[in-house]
Amino acid sequence: MATVTAPAPKAAPGVLTRPAARKLLALAVAAAILVPFAVTQWGGATWPSALTVDVSEPLGRASDWIIDNRDSHPLFLYFFGHVSNVVVLAVRAVYLALLAVGWAGVTAIGALVAWRVAGVRLALGTAVAFLACGLLGMWVPTMQTLALMVVAVLASVVVGALLGLAAGLSDRMDRVLRPVLDTMQVLPAFAYLLPVVLVFGIGVPAAVLATVVYAAPPMARLTALGLRGADKEVLEAVESLGTTARQRLLTARIPLARKELLLGLNQTIMMALSMAVIASVIGAGGLGDRVYQALASVDVGAALAAGIPIVLLAVVLDRVTGAAGEERPGESRRSPLTWLYALAAAAAVAVAGRLAGVLEWPDGWELNIAEPVNRAVDWMTAHLYSGVPVVGGTADWAAHFTDWVLNPLRDGLQWLPWWSVLLIVAALAWLIGTWRTALTAVLAMAAIGVLGVWNPSLDTLSQVLAAVAVTLVIGFATGVAAARSDRVERALRPVLDVFQTMPQFVYLIPVVALFGVGRAPAVAAAVVYALPAVVRITAQGLRQVDPAAMESARSLGATSGQQLRQVQLPLARPALLLAVNQGVVLVLAVVIIGGLVGGGALGYQVVFGLAQGDLATGLVAGAAIVCLGLMLDRVTQPTVRRPRKGA
Amino acid sequence: MRLRTTSALAGAAALTLLTGCGAADMTQQASPFANAQGARTVTLSVQSWVGAQANVAVAQYLLEHELGYRVDTVQVDEVPAWDALSQGRVDAILEDWGHPEQEQRYVQDKKTIAPGGDLGVTGHIGWFVPTYFAKQHPDVTDWKNLDKYADLLRTAESGDKGQLMDGSPSYVTNDKALVENLDLDYKVVFAGSEAAQITQIQQFAKEKKPFLTYWYTPQWLFEKVPMTEVKLPPYEEGCDADPAKVDCAYPVTPLQKYLNADFAKNGGEAARFLKNFEWTTEDQNQVSLMIAEQKMRPEEAAKKWVDSHESVWKKWLP
Amino acid sequence: MTATNVNGTATERPPVFSVDGLWKVFGPKAGRVPADPELTALTPAELRSRTGCTAAVRDVSFDVRKGEVFVVMGLSGSGKSTLVRCLTRLIEPTAGSIAIDGEDVRAMDKSRLRELRRHRAAMVFQHFGLLPHRTVLDNVAYGLEVQGVGRAERRERAAAVVAKVGLEGLEHRRPGQLSGGQRQRVGLARALAVDPEVLLFDEPFSALDPLIRRDMQEEVVRLHREEGRTMVFITHDLQEALKLGDRIALMRDGRVVQLGTPEEIVGSPADDYVRAFVRDVPREQVLTVRTAMRPAADADEAGTGPAVRPEATVSEAIEAVARAGSAARVMDGGRCLGVVDAGDLLGVVAGTAVPEERPEGAAVLPGEAELPKEAV
Repeated sequence: MATVTAPAPKAAPGVLTRPAARKLLALAVAAAILVPFAVTQWGGATWPSALTVDVSEPLGRASDWIIDNRDSHPLFLYFFGHVSNVVVLAVRAVYLALLAVGWAGVTAIGALVAWRVAGVRLALGTAVAFLACGLLGMWVPTMQTLALMVVAVLASVVVGALLGLAAGLSDRMDRVLRPVLDTMQVLPAFAYLLPVVLVFGIGVPAAVLATVVYAAPPMARLTALGLRGADKEVLEAVESLGTTARQRLLTARIPLARKELLLGLNQTIMMALSMAVIASVIGAGGLGDRVYQALASVDVGAALAAGIPIVLLAVVLDRVTGAAGEERPGESRRSPLTWLYALAAAAAVAVAGRLAGVLEWPDGWELNIAEPVNRAVDWMTAHLYSGVPVVGGTADWAAHFTDWVLNPLRDGLQWLPWWSVLLIVAALAWLIGTWRTALTAVLAMAAIGVLGVWNPSLDTLSQVLAAVAVTLVIGFATGVAAARSDRVERALRPVLDVFQTMPQFVYLIPVVALFGVGRAPAVAAAVVYALPAVVRITAQGLRQVDPAAMESARSLGATSGQQLRQVQLPLARPALLLAVNQGVVLVLAVVIIGGLVGGGALGYQVVFGLAQGDLATGLVAGAAIVCLGLMLDRVTQPTVRRPRKGA
Repeated sequence: MRLRTTSALAGAAALTLLTGCGAADMTQQASPFANAQGARTVTLSVQSWVGAQANVAVAQYLLEHELGYRVDTVQVDEVPAWDALSQGRVDAILEDWGHPEQEQRYVQDKKTIAPGGDLGVTGHIGWFVPTYFAKQHPDVTDWKNLDKYADLLRTAESGDKGQLMDGSPSYVTNDKALVENLDLDYKVVFAGSEAAQITQIQQFAKEKKPFLTYWYTPQWLFEKVPMTEVKLPPYEEGCDADPAKVDCAYPVTPLQKYLNADFAKNGGEAARFLKNFEWTTEDQNQVSLMIAEQKMRPEEAAKKWVDSHESVWKKWLP
Repeated sequence: MTATNVNGTATERPPVFSVDGLWKVFGPKAGRVPADPELTALTPAELRSRTGCTAAVRDVSFDVRKGEVFVVMGLSGSGKSTLVRCLTRLIEPTAGSIAIDGEDVRAMDKSRLRELRRHRAAMVFQHFGLLPHRTVLDNVAYGLEVQGVGRAERRERAAAVVAKVGLEGLEHRRPGQLSGGQRQRVGLARALAVDPEVLLFDEPFSALDPLIRRDMQEEVVRLHREEGRTMVFITHDLQEALKLGDRIALMRDGRVVQLGTPEEIVGSPADDYVRAFVRDVPREQVLTVRTAMRPAADADEAGTGPAVRPEATVSEAIEAVARAGSAARVMDGGRCLGVVDAGDLLGVVAGTAVPEERPEGAAVLPGEAELPKEAV
């Protein structure tokens, strides 16, 4: 944390080991040569305007050109048009099939698949989840989201698996693809929306394609990892039997990578789901759109009614695909015959449903949860907002946080001369990584300046830093508590599950109701979003500390506080660093949500770009967020964690 | 291996079949969720404010219950909605606040969008203060006196200036230029979304705190938080031509409906119904209030209004 | 010793594998190393510092004859595993020649090479290399499947091999459900199932517990006795090498330092390294009376006393001599080759009796007449 919040690297004396000192010295020399030159040439605190490139005009022209030529240019008629058509047809086909099977059929099929793949408990869970979607009055939107998801996931899996195959089988492809995929992993989902909208316009095709771009990388990464991680001796044995390359791939490499492939599928599904919701901003329809619409009338209850099916879908899909990845010893290969029975049973239910005419969810069977939820939210905000004795209301906290943390941080960052910001970034990245990471980080930061969004980016950066700091303080504390007590962990688990899968839109209103409009609620939204992952990683890291080390500490009579400070925390250092990195990436991912509650800066510009169809503004701000993300990732990611070996 | 080749071939063949070998115009694509199960479907664009939801709710209710359509709604921001409308991904926009540039491009030049006539509601944008504040300080309603109250209107976000709260980035606004050109001691703070803005206004009102906000009428929130408009220099034709030099009030806009050109021609009863759709500000506000304040579901609110206003909507049916 | 060769057929038996001047160098521009006499003269450490290359196999030559068990022995890092992989080009050699039944392996194109791997040489691996997602039967049938043998036939043949290695009843288990010894039986069965001309073993038993290892060694001995299949066996375990090998090539730093029968290795180590290596071997169990005997002093000696075969080990002769209380005659057929008395035998055990000195380095040369030990 110290490395994140304290801009001066020298603040941590323990860090100054000898290589670190050497790096700093090298940097100081470089700075001594370059800075006077830079200052005389382009003085001032903010990025010199002479070094900016105005891209908004060409971007605006490109956008206009696309809109004018979308119905006539061959590129669109013969390529993008077909892509778009295929997507629409595929989504439509799946949607019609789901509607034709009817709610009873879909529920039955879902449950039976879950049963065959993951056992009775998850089958029940799946059925309950589907029925809950119907009960909440969200059957049709759920099917729309599901249809979109099915197409997007299939496409992601195909694209991801092909890329993964290429990277898994060819070292050159691996070298080319790996940094790209690594980078895509840290980019916020919103960043993918604008480019596809530019080409495809608002609507389902753009939503599906953005989802594919977002969800395919984990599949590609894990496919490559699985192929590369296969037991070398097994492959050699297979080769020694005179297999052709194709036989090796089909009979050995792919089956050996089964676990990774299924994990990839799992991650792809989860990411596709979260994107399918976010893509409602560009007209994806379905559940995300219902959340988005409910927000317009400031109706948290209705937003929650649409959010719950998303959470349920996410949890069920996660558990079922996760269970598929685990070999269950003792159980014989699931025979195709039982699959046949299961499918026949599902078909029977679907046909029965059709004959009985219960395709559409019955009107009366709906549960109105919006009202009680709204009452609860109103009560909460009414009683917490202000005037709470002693501690003050949340509004006061927000004001103090803005005055005492956000404003000084922002003003401080903007007061720093631009070259010193670059220097600090370089120093931090180099200290924690190699000169390559430092170079990437500095180039990313410089790109922000060149794009001409230096000041808003520093504003956003200040919010991100504040949010990360708060997230880490709360997250580490909670993580330590969860690691030390099973009861706390058990109690936390469902909460974390829900917060991780809940669409980000849903907590916009409670956040504003509690903290008002401005940067404070933006920070609060980011903290809420990033907290679960940080808590999880911290608790896991602490729990996985070598029990022998703990035992020896106990045998020496260490108190539990000493055990924590002297054994657990130092040994869990890699996990804690990962938590910092994840915290940064996740906080950045909701910068745009922050834009929706008054966070201003880059987040607002992206929202503005989307809302006004002003793609130049949006794309530039999006690119700046991407650069910030790159920079922060490099600055917080120790290079040792990157698996360099093919393992 | 043979299997793989065959399946790849089959896939390619299917793709070709699906798409046809010729050109594919993606500007002529309906939503994949439209016209499911043989029902005639109309896709309506809902903008993010409640007035627009009220229009759509009533139109949807009548289309479904009187004319037998299935209605899909998609929430799209104003400007992108024009694009979606021209592509046929939505069939109609029921409330447009005036986008001359888009109108020029899609209605005049490309002719992919057809005007759908007046909505019957008149819109107006302006700066507002809560009425309880205006009663205490009557002179605040003139922009010339705003600087006097800058101190009272300060927040953490606006720093040492007064706060002028703006809403969703999708809305038409000249506020930054206005503050600049009228030389006011204020800072424009963007709430980022209407939801955030409304929530903030309600919080302020609950505490009877003063605030200055960009707002528009018709809007249901006036029923809940009475607000008084601050007079800006009067609007004259063309005074807002250059966005950077605006120094006058916002105009009064008769809100318009627009239909996809194809839909307008071939949309049958639905298209004729939507062209006929015209109601008053009071009507719209009634429905909006039911949705936003009483938290009724849009279809319930629409049903309630439809049940009691038969004389109004009977005229719309083709 | 050629004169005393009793098994004349051995030398004439055609070589299955014939390796000549084989090099495998890892590292940048590896190809220049074998060609450059200056580089080949360097020690491994010098070579690495000069070129960044590591020579895993350096100028190795030997023949593997039909029906013999040829053991390559050496400590880890000696290059023996690389060597065996070069035989079927699982690792591409850098220089030298390899021939199988006279056919140049290095000149083979892809399909010919596959043919070699499918039908002529099958390998058994240290960590088994089984496919975890297949049953025992399907693992064993895998080689046949690769060859395109129909499902019914390959399963039938696999089942027969599974029975042969003693895994009946486990056909439908997965490798994960088997013990280490059972897994290696599957690995062995998989190699046997394709009925290869040569079996290659890469330290097959070093991952196993000692008792199981002995069982598996017996299994290999039994298989060899029953089928007489040519085997190339890599091991780091001297006991194993002595027990299984007809001939042993002892490797150090990529070179073969001595090649000979177990008896020659133990009895006349080529250099100090080999000598240190074999120091603790119980010599009486490896050396034969042939090395310990002396000509009969007189007709009396040649006519009385217990008879032992020339290939009997010294410990067997000790037993005979102790029981009879007199010197034993070494009889081949009806002919007396010589005699051993208690003193001769004790000399062998004590290591003082140096059997007939050989010219320096002669033992390293391949192709020289060796005495293949008959199948144990």
